[in-house]
Amino acid sequence: MAERCAVIGVGQTHHTSCRADVSIAGLVREAVDRALVSAHMTMADIDAIVIGKAPDMLEGVMMPELWLVDALAAAGKPVFRVHTAGSVGGSTAIVAAQHVMSGVHKRVLTVGFEKQSDGNAMWALSVPMPFGMPVHAGAGGYFSPIIRSYIKRSGAPAHIGCMVAVKDRTNACKNPYAHLHEPDWTLEKAMASPMLWDPVRMVETCPSSDGAMALVLASEDVADAHTGPKAWVHATAMRSEPTAFAGRNQVSPKASEDCAADLWRKAGITSPIDEIDAVEMYVPFAWFEPMWLESLGFAPKDQGWRYVEDGVTEMTGRLPVNCSGGVLSSNPIGASGMLRFGEAAMQVMGIAGEHQVDSVRKAFGHAYGGGSQFFAMWVVGANKP
Amino acid sequence: MSGGTTEYTIVEDGSFTAPLELSYPYKRTVGPVLSRFLTGLRDHRIEGTVGSDGRVHVPPAEFDPVTGAALTEWAPVASTGTIVTWSWQPSPVEGNTLQHPFAWALIALDGADTNLLHAIDAGSPEVLSTGMRVQARWAAEPSGSISDIECFELAERATGAAS
Repeated sequence: MAERCAVIGVGQTHHTSCRADVSIAGLVREAVDRALVSAHMTMADIDAIVIGKAPDMLEGVMMPELWLVDALAAAGKPVFRVHTAGSVGGSTAIVAAQHVMSGVHKRVLTVGFEKQSDGNAMWALSVPMPFGMPVHAGAGGYFSPIIRSYIKRSGAPAHIGCMVAVKDRTNACKNPYAHLHEPDWTLEKAMASPMLWDPVRMVETCPSSDGAMALVLASEDVADAHTGPKAWVHATAMRSEPTAFAGRNQVSPKASEDCAADLWRKAGITSPIDEIDAVEMYVPFAWFEPMWLESLGFAPKDQGWRYVEDGVTEMTGRLPVNCSGGVLSSNPIGASGMLRFGEAAMQVMGIAGEHQVDSVRKAFGHAYGGGSQFFAMWVVGANKP
Repeated sequence: MSGGTTEYTIVEDGSFTAPLELSYPYKRTVGPVLSRFLTGLRDHRIEGTVGSDGRVHVPPAEFDPVTGAALTEWAPVASTGTIVTWSWQPSPVEGNTLQHPFAWALIALDGADTNLLHAIDAGSPEVLSTGMRVQARWAAEPSGSISDIECFELAERATGAAS
């Protein structure tokens, strides 16, 4: 029987295209300081640190967790680094929760970051390998045929991606930390956005951001004594699968479906759409919202796009998705998963400000990475599990 | 980034091999602490940050290695110091500030509690020993980088502390 664990501290940077004013250490520290303030703690109170970021190649700093020891006040403390590509922020939060749920640590600081402006994330991950077909496509080029496949099999109309994009960009205007604050999007304007990788339009893609997100996770006794808001971890799940194998379903990977099924079982949830009050889902390209709604069990197969069209995922809808603006509005890659996990916790804690949904009892945080192959998810709730 | 046509070879056993060269244009943003240090070098001024235990860190630490606190107190240090350890570089490579044989050394600048890695222009390894006194030689054209100290050179024997 695992020990109980709660999020008692959340802190993030103001995400933007280039934080030329700070080092990576300074960027990470901004989020950490804010998380510690919200947890009513100082660095000295922390027992262990779990850190994650997307591949080191993105900034060209290898094993930055070693360099960041001073900035994390980690000298003499256990430090654990997590690597799971774009899902890393979620996986990192889960590993941090496991540090508490194992009963080994009581106060764990976890942080995810990316300083995309120091590197070239689009191409650093698109290495033209000898003997392979040099595609030079980037992430959008990788995912667009998968999206096309979803559209074909589900019969979704062409404007669904733009509807998601307009919703997320509009939501982001309520989030002071979001990178993009673009209040003027309309469906008509979005549909005129340039086509980058057919069927993905520019408005349907995430920005390239500098940013960090930090959480403080606490054991039950520490969380009980904490007088501020808290979000209890009800369940966590992770799954992975290879990028390519015969018969692979790339639209709804088996690892995604298995991960969600495991999560709902652990959380005692039988009808996700009825029992989850707010969703923070990893949607770097707009079409992934309906795709994940189906893969995760929120919507029946081929019906996810109807939920978008009917406004179910609007902030005022039955299942608010990405009230923070999501990855479509801020993408410091290594932090993006933790932003989903942390924003879900913020909804439960009631500290999401203008993008707060009323009376959130349970929220879902989600991240995926690589070629839709690494998955991390959690459910956090207002009550103890 | 690199790419283009693969020029592969087939070795005797029939295996294929091909070169894979990677290069990306990275940037470095050093933040306010190192920026101040580098600006100082441009003006021939070396300074470090003072840690919670009183140690002076050169190059400056942005966060205290002991407590993690952001360090904001500065201390000037001298452009003279003592060789802590060294190693001879007989064949300089592209990018070294000196293009003739020199020594890599850890140097304890006077007033600093940490060591600075830099080059010493000494002519020959025979004249070098740990504990010798050195002084900075400033670059003719400052650029706001660590190479604004072109190298260190041996201080006058008469004023040296080496024994």
